[in-house]
Amino acid sequence: MHLGTRKVLDRSFAGLGIFSVVLMSAALLVLLGPIFVRGLGAFVFRATVEHHRFILEHFGRGDRRQVQGRIAAARQSREPLYDMIARHEDELWQSFRAIADRHKAEAAVYEMIESREPDLPRALRAARYSLTEDGRHGRDALDALEQRWEVFEELREKVRVLLGPLPGEQFALLRKQYGQTRWGRAQVKLHDLLYDYDYDYSDPNQMGRKVYVPRVEQFEGTAVEPLFAYAEDNLHAMLLPRWTFYWRFLFDESFDAHFFGGIWPAVLGTLYLTVGTMLIAGPTGIIAAAYLAEYARQTWRVSLIRTCISTLAGVPSIVFGLFGLAFFVNTLHVSDSRSVLAGALTLAVLVLPTVIRASEEAIRAVPQTYKEAALSLGATKWRTTFTVVLPAALPGVLTSIIISMGRAAGETAPIIFTAAVSLGKPLKLWQTLSQPTPALPWNIYNLATEHEAVDEIRHVQYGMVLTLIVMVLALNVTAIILRARISRKLRG
Amino acid sequence: MGDVNLRQSRLMQRRASRRRRLAAFAGEGLLFLVTAASALVILFIFYYICRDALPFFRLRGFKEFFTGRQWYPSREPASFGALPMFFGTGLVTLGAMIVAGPMGVAAAVCLSDILPFGVRQAVKPIIEVLAAIPSVAYGFFALVVFAPLLQERGGMILSVGALLVGLPLATLLALVLGDALAMRLPHGPRAAGRLGLTALLVLGAWAGLGVLAARLSAVEISSGRNALNVSIILGIMAIPTVVSVSEDALFAVGRELREASYGLGATRAETVVKVVIPAARSGILAALLLGAMRAVGETMVVWMASGNAAHIPEPWYNLLAPVRTLTATIAGDMGEADHVTGSARYHVLFAMALCLLTFCFICNLVSEWAMRRSKAKLG
Repeated sequence: MHLGTRKVLDRSFAGLGIFSVVLMSAALLVLLGPIFVRGLGAFVFRATVEHHRFILEHFGRGDRRQVQGRIAAARQSREPLYDMIARHEDELWQSFRAIADRHKAEAAVYEMIESREPDLPRALRAARYSLTEDGRHGRDALDALEQRWEVFEELREKVRVLLGPLPGEQFALLRKQYGQTRWGRAQVKLHDLLYDYDYDYSDPNQMGRKVYVPRVEQFEGTAVEPLFAYAEDNLHAMLLPRWTFYWRFLFDESFDAHFFGGIWPAVLGTLYLTVGTMLIAGPTGIIAAAYLAEYARQTWRVSLIRTCISTLAGVPSIVFGLFGLAFFVNTLHVSDSRSVLAGALTLAVLVLPTVIRASEEAIRAVPQTYKEAALSLGATKWRTTFTVVLPAALPGVLTSIIISMGRAAGETAPIIFTAAVSLGKPLKLWQTLSQPTPALPWNIYNLATEHEAVDEIRHVQYGMVLTLIVMVLALNVTAIILRARISRKLRG
Repeated sequence: MGDVNLRQSRLMQRRASRRRRLAAFAGEGLLFLVTAASALVILFIFYYICRDALPFFRLRGFKEFFTGRQWYPSREPASFGALPMFFGTGLVTLGAMIVAGPMGVAAAVCLSDILPFGVRQAVKPIIEVLAAIPSVAYGFFALVVFAPLLQERGGMILSVGALLVGLPLATLLALVLGDALAMRLPHGPRAAGRLGLTALLVLGAWAGLGVLAARLSAVEISSGRNALNVSIILGIMAIPTVVSVSEDALFAVGRELREASYGLGATRAETVVKVVIPAARSGILAALLLGAMRAVGETMVVWMASGNAAHIPEPWYNLLAPVRTLTATIAGDMGEADHVTGSARYHVLFAMALCLLTFCFICNLVSEWAMRRSKAKLG
């Protein structure tokens, strides 16, 4: 080959290698970037007055007078809007009365109109049968009015979603008692209020395209016509958003299927599982590692054990889950059904090979001279191992345990059938023996795929992912630092 | 008196030492027991998975499970054709290895032979972080960020990806080809011919890539939850395994072989491609196997982002179609099947787990054998 070509090839070969490393780093950035940015959004965001109202009413936190002042200010600027809605309702009843007049309705109809009982659609339905003459035209007019009512009711619903219940309304469901707590979501909901959508099927070759139509077109000439411009201009005054650092997101319980509050039950569940796993796998793994490093000779028994352990390391995590279900739950009955204990046992089996391998390496790294010194002082092998070798290997062993903790914290598949539930209160310590728990990895899956309103609680999902990643990375960084220290010490 | 005392103390000493020896023996036995127990777990796993898997085969036989294409576990009459799941698992694993294999090996070569020590220390944490990120976080990214992106700008992403990977590769290939063709020319016009040929080939390759990219940019992806999405994410997840194992193998080749190659006048690229990689072949094979194992056994990503459609895509290599894998089926169906413990619907999931377990067991044995062989060969 020509020398020049060889040189170019050599250079570009190096370039190719570096290119792959750069691509890898880029992948990491692309992955972590959105998770960090949007995950932080769960903690730091522009909270509306509704958020502060919720916090005050449910946790009793926040400056009561100040929050109540803001609530009053927000209510004041919502007044004109509620006014328009009430006036439009009047208008609808007026039209009803006009229809009744035109068609000479019975007295019962007028009674309904006077008392406004029952509500308009029901009153309309009742009136259909008591219009006396020229029934058909009367019914058409009533149908048209009912349609206007439906459009109006949709508008009211949009306002409720944005600002909370209208004056005088009461709801049992928590998410209906409050408006939008986050300014970002509020703007999305404002768009929903301002625009209705429709599908455009004009092009037969394509799927229907979503087209937005201003909702105001449905209300031309009515009392709520100016509502839309008012809402758009005064959203800020009606919700009074304010930058908030909601650090208690981590420590608050969740309310109403994660619509409000924080993620503490899941965080606590993950902590329980992780620590429980290590309490089981740690001692077992260290003992096995000590045996393999210090006592085991090259026999077929030992090499069989090693093969078994490396096979265990290669078992897919979902198989561990099935094993945990079949063995710990269905055979040993460590608990009635899923429980933190069963999950921790399953996870312990999963991380055991990692703990054994890394601890064995750490124990082997202890200089031979330590052992020789101890033995020459007359210590038995047992004593040498447990008072000299293991303490010297402790930092390395700790590193292995910390890395395995990270692995246990993030695993999902093994706990699906053994420990996890989607919703729950934070557990007391003694309850971990018998009860399942929410856990971050499972809840991330659950909220991102099976929740009834996936888009509404994106911030909770991102916040959970961020929390989990930060937990795992913090453990790993600790391990990396610890390892760097050890290698510096061993180098002298 | 003194004599008696001495005798007694000697006796006591002997007793004490015997006791100590006994204790040491018992202690060692205890250690062995704990170690053996933790090794026995794998046998337990095999036993308990088999115990719940065998009733399925006894009830329904093997043929339907391995060759059937109809997966309707809850219909009456039920059918348990798991072929689409086997196929889905194979497809996404293949895709993942197409991503992770070249990139992982290239990165490993870069780490072991190209980058200086300082930079290497900076790159290692990146790999460790990639390995440490929980799989559910990858799955969340695939579902919430990547899938909508693919759906909205699929064509652009595909064409940019093709250009990013294709440009350097095509250029290199054109260079080599141009050089090889020029060697056939007569001696006189060879220099000019080489230049012309190479330029022609490079331009041709770029033009071809341009056409390909234009074609790809017109592709519309109807759903972002498909085999391509999952393959890319699984590939990224498998990279750390591939890199660290194959880097160990490359490192184990040692200085002597490299220096001998340099001494013969080979460039670094030639040394790596013709000497180091062949010498580390079995280690790299082990790395690829371990990477594939990770992809096969991964649950959360495929469950969340593969679309979970239990049929074989048309044509079979269509990565843009949704697929379903064994792991996702186990995770997804267990919730319903758990209530009917004892039915075929419950046991079929264990049968799938048994297949996964067997596959990983074989992969593990082969990779261990390969690693041992490479260690033995390199002394």
